[in-house]
Amino acid sequence: MELDPIHKDALAEFGNIGAAHAATSLSQMLMSPVEMTVPEVLAIDIAELHNYISNEISAVVVFQIQGEIADGGYVVVSMPRETIIQLTNQMLGTTDTDREINEMDQSAAIEIGNIMISAFLDATAELLGIVMLPSPPALAIDMAHAAFESIVAQVASDVNDVLIFNTELTSEAPPVYGSIFMLPNVELTQQLFTMLERLMEPLA
Amino acid sequence: MENNFFDEEAGVILGLGELRVGAYPMGTIGLGSCIALILHDQRRSLAGLAHIMLPESRGNTERPGKFADTAMSVLLEEMENLGSVKCSTTAIVVGGASMFEFSASSLNIGDRNIAAVKDQLHEQRIGIEYEETGGKVGRSVYYWPEGKGRLIVKRADGTCIAL
Repeated sequence: MELDPIHKDALAEFGNIGAAHAATSLSQMLMSPVEMTVPEVLAIDIAELHNYISNEISAVVVFQIQGEIADGGYVVVSMPRETIIQLTNQMLGTTDTDREINEMDQSAAIEIGNIMISAFLDATAELLGIVMLPSPPALAIDMAHAAFESIVAQVASDVNDVLIFNTELTSEAPPVYGSIFMLPNVELTQQLFTMLERLMEPLA
Repeated sequence: MENNFFDEEAGVILGLGELRVGAYPMGTIGLGSCIALILHDQRRSLAGLAHIMLPESRGNTERPGKFADTAMSVLLEEMENLGSVKCSTTAIVVGGASMFEFSASSLNIGDRNIAAVKDQLHEQRIGIEYEETGGKVGRSVYYWPEGKGRLIVKRADGTCIAL
């Protein structure tokens, strides 16, 4: 899949708006400033995925995109395990950072994912004038790449590359780091292009 | 990316849907629902590895390594081209985990992958020498085809097995 520069810019802007809302919701939860990177938009060959998705043990919270677009692909929040422990501690007022992941961390990961991704999809769907809703979340705490394989198997059964938006969010106190990914499937990608082209028309 | 087992050697890490046949070390990192299928011909110190993503190709031949059925036939064909015979070939099957909790079952494709790979092996009458499939844990696989072959499976929870 070749991404032309206009599509790439439009998709990055689209992701940017979603990620900004997700960052705001994370910031409100943490009651501290959250920085975000400019979203990257990449068309990645599935064979190259391991060069982009790390092998670090992470909490990977996955939502299928539903709503007006049925089974449109996936949005994912991936946070390293240290971050999850920090977030749980922050919310429970505990301080122990040198411990195993427990059930409370799993709930925290899911809840944080829920809030961030709802904000992400709300904002992007509003931009496009459609309804996009997250499915109930699924959670894996494992090597991030291993978790992503299942997602890629769903979106890339007939194609050999996946479109990935990626934004990184960081906060200094508490030290928190996470990434938001969106992997639209082929149909949603085409729809996004069409809708974004329509948005840009009056300017052309 | 982390590649600590092949540091000093010309090891090849295979991405999703790739397959290779050769006498050099091969591996996959961060295996989740996918399967690492290794065919090994001990007599020729030759091995083939496929990083299989889905059970059926449904006529798609572009990336044979991606699907259980096409991966099996292409691996065998390439090994035969290098002088390998089926009766001295054995298989190692690793992966096919169900990674997600609280999940829509569509994400847990691991079980279907395992079944498809085993069906293929049965059909080709190739015996399974070692198998580590299913479960809920991601794995990395490293294989050295020399002699009897050497295998390391490193699980995400930190445990490691070597054969």
